[in-house]
Amino acid sequence: MRPLNAGDTLSPLIHLIDDDEAVRSALTLLISTVGLRVQTWPDPSAFMSGFDRQTIGAIVLDVRMPGISGLTVLDTLVAQGVDQPVIMLTGHGTVEMCRRAFKAGAAEFLEKPVDDEVLLEALQNAVRQHVKSRERSQTNRHAQERYAQLSARECDVLGLIIAGLTNKEIGRALDVSPRTVETHRANLFAKLEADSLAQLIRQYAALVDEADAR
Amino acid sequence: MRKALQHRWVGLLLWGLITALGCVVLARIELVQQRDAFETDARIVHRLLSQRVVQHDAVMATLALLQPAAPDSKPEQRLSALYPQILSVQRRDSGAFWPDERLRVAETLSRALGRPALAGVDFARGRYHLVLASEPTSYALEMDVRAVVPWSEWPMAHDTSAVRVLLEHEGQDWVLQPGRLGQGGWRFDFRKHLAAESQPFDVVARRQIGWNELPWTGMLGWSALVAAALAGGLALMGQRAARRRAEELLRLGQVARLNTLGELAAGMAHELNQPLTALLANTQASMRLLEEAPPDMPTIRSAMAQAVEQARRASAVVSRLRRAVERPDLAAQLQPVDLQQAVQSALYLLEPEFRRREVVPLVDAPPASVTVMAEPVALEQIIHNLLMNALQALEQVPAKERQLAVAVKTAAGGGELAVLDSGPGMTEEVRSRIFEPFFTTREAGLGLGLSLCETLAAGMGGSLKAEQHAPRGAVFRLSLPLAPLTPQGKP
Repeated sequence: MRPLNAGDTLSPLIHLIDDDEAVRSALTLLISTVGLRVQTWPDPSAFMSGFDRQTIGAIVLDVRMPGISGLTVLDTLVAQGVDQPVIMLTGHGTVEMCRRAFKAGAAEFLEKPVDDEVLLEALQNAVRQHVKSRERSQTNRHAQERYAQLSARECDVLGLIIAGLTNKEIGRALDVSPRTVETHRANLFAKLEADSLAQLIRQYAALVDEADAR
Repeated sequence: MRKALQHRWVGLLLWGLITALGCVVLARIELVQQRDAFETDARIVHRLLSQRVVQHDAVMATLALLQPAAPDSKPEQRLSALYPQILSVQRRDSGAFWPDERLRVAETLSRALGRPALAGVDFARGRYHLVLASEPTSYALEMDVRAVVPWSEWPMAHDTSAVRVLLEHEGQDWVLQPGRLGQGGWRFDFRKHLAAESQPFDVVARRQIGWNELPWTGMLGWSALVAAALAGGLALMGQRAARRRAEELLRLGQVARLNTLGELAAGMAHELNQPLTALLANTQASMRLLEEAPPDMPTIRSAMAQAVEQARRASAVVSRLRRAVERPDLAAQLQPVDLQQAVQSALYLLEPEFRRREVVPLVDAPPASVTVMAEPVALEQIIHNLLMNALQALEQVPAKERQLAVAVKTAAGGGELAVLDSGPGMTEEVRSRIFEPFFTTREAGLGLGLSLCETLAAGMGGSLKAEQHAPRGAVFRLSLPLAPLTPQGKP
């Protein structure tokens, strides 16, 4: 038997929720052929209380399950701020059901029986999307931490740099010498770990706008 | 059930109300008629009696005028022969005295008034006197009340009339006609002075209409009439309600059938999709694993075993479904059914559908009933579906060209029912596939109606055939075996 968990905890983890044992085991085998780890859950409530929300990966959810509808589970996941993309699977999808699923935030809506390529491609897309969104939020968090280290005067200087003013103009605006501005500028480039003006603007313009708005 | 009861109560209430109203009107008419008759009779009586008593005044005046032509002739003694009511005549010559004090008093009164005056009224004996003072001789007449009445001109039958007639004077009364006064009910009264000052008697007439005199026969008739009319109305309403109910049931039945079918399809999809999903995933995973070098044979073997198991599971779902919807054996439930009646009942139920499409069905059937062996519900379903099918075909042609005929006849070895329409008909390709399940030319059609009909017909030992109808349209022929003749010679 091929090791499903692959020993590699860094490989993305797919959560598969379906009440049918045969479907679970077959899909697990299929998904693992592309090197993704799979964790299966026979019922939604066990999944909701037990799954690890930090891992990178995606969720595959059957619409028709005894006790609780997959659409309800989807609503709950979204409401709880779970960021893993959700792929819905259904035996007899209607247009209405499909519309509801997408409106609720499903990443994909697939009909059973599902072709391997369709499912695997949807999963890989979902995982890529999840990785990207996690990276984005990570970058944002780092930028915030660095921005918090700036002194009040350095924040002022940063705002004016992003507004497009030269050192001379900044000195005039803040009533300091251009040389002082130059010092602040060097300090904040160091604190923000920025290599170029372009990178500085790309990473911190949004944060400065936010600070101004407050 | 409760509604029917309510209807009955409302009907009863209505009946009571209308009957009571009618009876009051009838009674009033009767009373008015009786009162009119009574008053007419009473007035006639008053006039007759008045004429008589005025005559008495004239007789007395004549007596006074005649004197004293011949003091000994006494013509007054002959009066009784002419006027039976005058019992006797008395005279008081000048200087003589009345034998009776009452006559003297009356004479004094008469002299003062200048007209005859009453004396000695005795209704208990039916007597009174009339006195006229004159010179030289005054006269007094003794009158018989009984003979005063001109019975020959009397407006009522004296012995049998229900009207009581009296003469009254100062507390005395004389019964002219006894009458019959009934118990309770209504009372009419008439009282009037006689039109002669000398004899101021009151004519009193009285009539008592008892309850028993009301027009009971007429009322009874009216009540029966109302009851009959209401019963008729209720029956008509009941019939209409029953028809509406039948139509509703039919419609509900169709909806229920569709719903059941939808549920069945959804359930079937889920039941089949689960094993198919597993089957597909297992085989496709195996194919992927086979491409690796070296292929992981134990995993592939296990996946293929699972695939086999899932294929079996799917097949079990299908056979379970077939068993679940398998129809009971129709052949065991055959019974003699009158084809014409079955057609009539189907036409009756579909009447609104015909009306909506402006189609008038033509029925061509022999006078003798064609009795076939069939399961009644299945037969009804077949006829219903064939008629609906024809109606739907007719929707595609203009209203003026829509014709639908149902023909019932006895053909070789069986009873035949044909449904003909003037719709667009069908191509040979459609005709050859028309009884296939899920084959349909209609957008919203399921393609199960005609397929079901054919299955049912075959199940009852008959057949259903579709043909092109010349010049245009389609014919569906249902053949069913005839019912065997019973020993009485009747099917």
